[in-house]
Amino acid sequence: MALFPLQANFRGDFVVLLIPVDDSDDMSIVADKVAQHAVGLRVAEKSAPKCVYHNGRELPSSMTVAQSGIQPMDWIEVAYV
Amino acid sequence: MPKLQRRDYYDTARDMNWAFSYVSEDEVFPEELSKSFGIHGEQWWGWDEPYKLTYREYVHNQAGKDDGIYSIRSTIARSNLYDNLDAGWKSAIKAHYGAIPVPEYFASIGEARMARFGRAAAWRNMATFGTLDECRHGQAQIYFPYCLLGKDPQFDWAHKAMHTNEWGVIAARSLFDDMFTANDAMSTAIQLTFTFETGFTNLQFLGMASDALHVGDIEFGALISSIQTDEARHSQQGEPTLKIMINNGRKAEAQKMVDQMFWRSWKLFALLTGISMDYYTPLESRTMSFKEFMQDWICRQFMDQFKDLGMNVPWYWEEHFLPELDWVHHAYHMGVWFWRPTVWWNPDAGVSAAERDWLEQKYPGWNDRFGKKWDVIGDNVRTGQIEKTYPATLPIVCNCCHIPICSPSIGKAPRITTHNGRKLNFCCEVCEWVWKSQPERYDTHLSIVDRFLAGHIQPPTLEGALQYMGITPDVAGNDAQDYAWHGASRLAAE
Repeated sequence: MALFPLQANFRGDFVVLLIPVDDSDDMSIVADKVAQHAVGLRVAEKSAPKCVYHNGRELPSSMTVAQSGIQPMDWIEVAYV
Repeated sequence: MPKLQRRDYYDTARDMNWAFSYVSEDEVFPEELSKSFGIHGEQWWGWDEPYKLTYREYVHNQAGKDDGIYSIRSTIARSNLYDNLDAGWKSAIKAHYGAIPVPEYFASIGEARMARFGRAAAWRNMATFGTLDECRHGQAQIYFPYCLLGKDPQFDWAHKAMHTNEWGVIAARSLFDDMFTANDAMSTAIQLTFTFETGFTNLQFLGMASDALHVGDIEFGALISSIQTDEARHSQQGEPTLKIMINNGRKAEAQKMVDQMFWRSWKLFALLTGISMDYYTPLESRTMSFKEFMQDWICRQFMDQFKDLGMNVPWYWEEHFLPELDWVHHAYHMGVWFWRPTVWWNPDAGVSAAERDWLEQKYPGWNDRFGKKWDVIGDNVRTGQIEKTYPATLPIVCNCCHIPICSPSIGKAPRITTHNGRKLNFCCEVCEWVWKSQPERYDTHLSIVDRFLAGHIQPPTLEGALQYMGITPDVAGNDAQDYAWHGASRLAAE
């Protein structure tokens, strides 16, 4: 387990954020960690699943950061599906 | 001894050039401090500008102007004029005072460099007055807020700001260091006086003085008007320098310097002036939107200059600059308000129902782009969930403009690149172009996020970041209207 900084934004928000995650986090946890800095703060909450996008591809929710090929300070986007 | 008429001595005093024989030109004008672009000696002797001024006249004029502003200051100090100003307007002048007065001193360093290393005597003469101007601007703009310290500790940042690592200060200092504190004489003439002062601040100060009088801030209006008259004069150093470059086949180099610094200036201008005009200035006192001001004044001024001098419009004008007029300062405003504990003024949300109508009218689509986000913020205010209106992490900032990377678009990635193994983030193609045009100049400068990740900010929390930025509880920004706007706000859906 290691701290892993990412840059991320939640779709519909206006700014890119520094988001610390853990390399053992799976994408559902990563999505939640990004959402907590935007959803309900500036982006309206929805009862819908969230998805993580990296380099134009959607990452499976069970995939961990370590498995994903994401590098520290890469940019990801999280969006409601 | 009979007194000479002005015309009998003026040009001898103002413009005495001579060829060097005991020392080489390179020793007198080292490239690092002066820069020649291959233009030497007598090629500079035709340098001329329209303001003809003697030192006696300069001192007389400036003393009169100082008498005027300081007498207004002492009269108003005995009134309650400041107390009755709109809270949003107070935010605008606090933001200005933190960002501008000490950089005026920085500008005096740039002017003094031109006064010594400018390659024409008339230029050095003009820059000497410019050096004195900028000292006066620094002194007056620190003294005025100093007199307001008893009313509000945030005015302390008129002096303190530039001595801190507050994020907006890092952005401003990076720009000003690049433009004049650490620039050679030739580039300073093109980038400070031609691009920034002629293009931006001279016109901005006219507008600010007018707005100040509209809202009843006579003191600030008088101060800014007094400064503007100096700006109008010393900004004239740019054009003759540019003409000599063009006449000697250096148009491409001049164009690049203008293009670089217009962009860098624009980003900070959008942050400070854009927010102040469209959100902090009381609605009833707004004479035009920031976009209209940019189009009618700044863009027209630059277009005229480009046309008159045979220069080209910057390559990014249509694709990047004009589109940003519609959105970038709205995004910056939302960021400044949400991260308000990190600034030294109290941001005015400026999104009451009437203000939102004005924003939608001036910027069609504003409600969809930004109003919906303000709805979520307003709901949290209305339901007492103020903690949800505060940040819990840092935004990523651009390694060129040092402003948070914002985007109005869905799924638009920041521009991430690597230089000598270092990962860099840019908010747009133009900032990346500026940085990559002189990597050796910018590569050692760390953004506030770089510093956070490198462990310079301890503890590595938002509280640690505030401490690193020098923000104390008595100055940390809060909503200027104590959230009164939310009662008058409304959902975009209505």
